[in-house]
Amino acid sequence: MKVLLIEDEQELADSIVQYLKGNDVICEWANTIAAADDKISSHFYDCILLDLSLPDGHGFEILKALKNRNSTEGIIIISAKETLHSKIEGLNLGADDYLTKPFHISELLARVQALVRRKNFHGNNVVRFQEIEIDTLAKSVKIGTNAIDLTRKEMDLLLFMIGNQNRVLSKSTIAEHLSGDMADMLDNHDFVYAHIKNLKKKLHEAGCKDYVKTVYGLGYKWQ
Amino acid sequence: MAVTQNLLTKTLRWYIVFAVIILLVTAPIFYFVTQRLYIDEANETLKLHKKEFVRYHLPTLKLDSIDTWNRYNRDEKILPRHPKHRKDKKDKFSTVFHFDELSHENEPYRVITSPIIIEGKPFTYTSKINLVEREDMMKSVAYLFLGLISAMLIGLYFITKVMSVRLWRPFYNALDHLEKFEVDKVTKTNLSQTTINEFARLNQAIEGLIQKNTSIYNVQKEFIENAAHELQTPLAVIQGKLEALFQQSSLTQSQSEVLEKLNESVSRLARLNKNLLLLSRIEHDQFSTSEQLSINALLKKHFEFFAEQAAAKNIRITLNENTEVSVNTNPVLAEVLLNNLMFNAIRHNLPSGTIVINLEERHLSISNSGTSTALPQEKIFDRFSKINPSTQGSGLGLAIIKKIVDLNRWAIHYHFKNDLHTFTIAF
Repeated sequence: MKVLLIEDEQELADSIVQYLKGNDVICEWANTIAAADDKISSHFYDCILLDLSLPDGHGFEILKALKNRNSTEGIIIISAKETLHSKIEGLNLGADDYLTKPFHISELLARVQALVRRKNFHGNNVVRFQEIEIDTLAKSVKIGTNAIDLTRKEMDLLLFMIGNQNRVLSKSTIAEHLSGDMADMLDNHDFVYAHIKNLKKKLHEAGCKDYVKTVYGLGYKWQ
Repeated sequence: MAVTQNLLTKTLRWYIVFAVIILLVTAPIFYFVTQRLYIDEANETLKLHKKEFVRYHLPTLKLDSIDTWNRYNRDEKILPRHPKHRKDKKDKFSTVFHFDELSHENEPYRVITSPIIIEGKPFTYTSKINLVEREDMMKSVAYLFLGLISAMLIGLYFITKVMSVRLWRPFYNALDHLEKFEVDKVTKTNLSQTTINEFARLNQAIEGLIQKNTSIYNVQKEFIENAAHELQTPLAVIQGKLEALFQQSSLTQSQSEVLEKLNESVSRLARLNKNLLLLSRIEHDQFSTSEQLSINALLKKHFEFFAEQAAAKNIRITLNENTEVSVNTNPVLAEVLLNNLMFNAIRHNLPSGTIVINLEERHLSISNSGTSTALPQEKIFDRFSKINPSTQGSGLGLAIIKKIVDLNRWAIHYHFKNDLHTFTIAF
């Protein structure tokens, strides 16, 4: 998977590039509109991560250019400025998702994966990990040939962890991912434990190996 | 507190007091002065009578015709002079009462007594004049005078009243403006033009004050918004770097614990920042669109999520939907409002506590168990007034709730009864 990150804040860009690199993602970075234009015109990307306030202009210019070119890249806006207006305008200009800073990079990765699945597979939205097979469209999970019944939250959790495999995910990161829009108010992450426990139990009963590791003091890791 | 009165009432009251004093003082003075003038007038007339008598009758009057004179003159008499008054040379005036047989009344007369000599013998000439007619006239004059004064006072009263209303109109206008002024609402200051120096100055001062306040408020508002915005990027960097640190395999247990604490604090900071941004966005009227919204549906929308949150603390939620309630409001804010209330009810609850949600006609109340004492009414809706410092709340939840309620012109009340903290919203 190839991703272009257009972001002028170097430290943040470094963290994102580093994080994504470990998960089968090739991430390139442009810090100006000019550099981004250059890259977009000569390469194809599965997904473009776009910051709106750039030193040489507004991120919407890139959106307009992409729209004129009828390009098929998935676009996720990552911006510190979240107003209803900029959100709606961004989505109208062809962006697929809008993530407001600050965000967890694991959340960004999950969004990228979900977007690329939607864009690329054309109905074949299947995620596989060893004996686990998740059909994200039919919302069904199979362990080998064994179908198991997961709640919406548990399935969400499973996808999030597989998408961020080999990464330590803190309880708060998972909690915020699971609660979506409500994350801004969330201050108790205890419910994550219950979900992890239930998921592990269901996977185990279906004969799945235990891939969820508890990292003491930090959270959980899928490996 | 002292009883306050209208400016007008107060002025008029002084006018009335003044008028009464004037009346009380001037009436007797007027009476005596007129009386005096009237007596003088009577004296003059009597003197004239006497002069006429001395000039036309005295030279021809004989001793033996005195009786005849006295018989045919009702008011002018010639009497023998009392030896006691023999040396009198001057005219004397006095007021005496004579019983009038026709009207059966004592009637006042003014009398002149004057010494005269008829054929070498001393006599006294008296002439009297009835005061009654003149008294009647005086009464009429007094009534006229009273009427005049009253008319003038009444006129003065109404003129003052009308004038005051007109004169003070710019003042009342300015007062209205000040009363309606809200620093967070954009209102056009439209103080009426006035030709009165003091009021022009007052208006100028008020306009200046309003302008200054509004601009300070706007600067403050912008500052909060900008500060919150500018914090987003460094927060994103910190969060990103922390996540990178998590991935290090060589972390010791104590390092991990420190990291998680850092992570929690950064998350909290991010939440706080987002709430501040939300507040300033509400203040910037970014949620002005509205639509018809079912409160019932809104309660159910995230009910599962809240039930899950509550379950983590073993809290029981009871939802009583007694009626269907639909309001016209901004959907984003309505959701934020309900979610904040629900989060508060869970956050400040006791383990194994209860939450009761009652939806009635035009009322929504959310009650929760919690601390055993009531919260301080006056402080709960202030920003950062955290009643319970141990919780992770941002201290902005109720401020946001209040802001949304105010924006919609709803009302929110808090009360504590039967160990339940209840927030009621009246739509």
